Amino acid sequence: MNCQLCQKELDAYSEGKLPDDMKIQVQEHLQHCKDCAEIYNLQLLTQKIINEEKVISPDPYLTTNIMAQIENPEVTDYKFISPFTRVLRPAMIITSLAASIFLGIMIGNIYKPSARVLPRPVELALIDDVAIEAVNVLSNE
Amino acid sequence: MTDSEIIRLILNGDRQIFRIFVEKYQAMVFRTCMGFVHNKDDADDLTQEIFIQVFQSLKGFKGEAAFSTWIYRITVNASLNKVRKKSGNQLLYRLDKLFGTPREKENSLPASNNENPESLLIKQENEKWVQNALDSLPENQRTAIILSKYDDLSQKEIAEIMKTTEGAVEALIQRAKTNLRKKLSFSFKEKRKTPQEK
Repeated sequence: MNCQLCQKELDAYSEGKLPDDMKIQVQEHLQHCKDCAEIYNLQLLTQKIINEEKVISPDPYLTTNIMAQIENPEVTDYKFISPFTRVLRPAMIITSLAASIFLGIMIGNIYKPSARVLPRPVELALIDDVAIEAVNVLSNE
Repeated sequence: MTDSEIIRLILNGDRQIFRIFVEKYQAMVFRTCMGFVHNKDDADDLTQEIFIQVFQSLKGFKGEAAFSTWIYRITVNASLNKVRKKSGNQLLYRLDKLFGTPREKENSLPASNNENPESLLIKQENEKWVQNALDSLPENQRTAIILSKYDDLSQKEIAEIMKTTEGAVEALIQRAKTNLRKKLSFSFKEKRKTPQEK
């Protein structure tokens, strides 16, 4: 038996569903194949942990707690929300959001830059930055 | 009294009779929740939420599937939502763990009194491994394997709950087992590596 076939049959083997001849073949393979034996052990570990989780019982007061909530109409009664409210609420949110953005843009457009900012002199615009000598030329180095 | 008779009475205003459903399906719902959340307290809370949801949705039960199948569907959906929310809160949880008060082994199973600290530690580590491997499976594979392993349901029953075919469920369970095997053997090999190898 090769590893591929053995690993395929491991589930049935661990559940005891394999016919006797196949069971013996898997057993023999597991005895000499370390990898398959490791996978089998991990499978057993998984099943063991699942079984441990399965036997945990719920809180003994769970039924009482649930029934206390069920008997409280405020908790369990279905609150009817009219389709009008269902549509109106998001529509109101979207409208107010759009209005805020529009208002923001309007306020932005009203703003004018201060008149005290002096215009750039024409002479300054004519200065050719590229032609200015580099700082290291002016230094002593 | 059949499930449909009980439903009729509840819808006519007899809230007390809902207790029959809670007692009948409590263990089933709790077990499935445990499969998803791996923590008793979370599973208790989730079971409670699910029964309230069941009560609130009773009007919507059309009787097309068995009542238990319907409860299973609600349970699976609520559990998946809970797990999604929980994974969304992981960052907050890590910060809380870093700066807040340490919580005691949140996801571990109750320990027996006669276990020594070392074997307890190994046990908790193994639990964490298996739980992480299960949680990392895609949602449909996880659902199929939980319903199969925790609730011992047949492929036909799982197919009804998941609204799919038996063949698809078989394929999902097979893929889940293969993925689980790969993830577990990978983390096992990682664990065996010495610090120098890492």
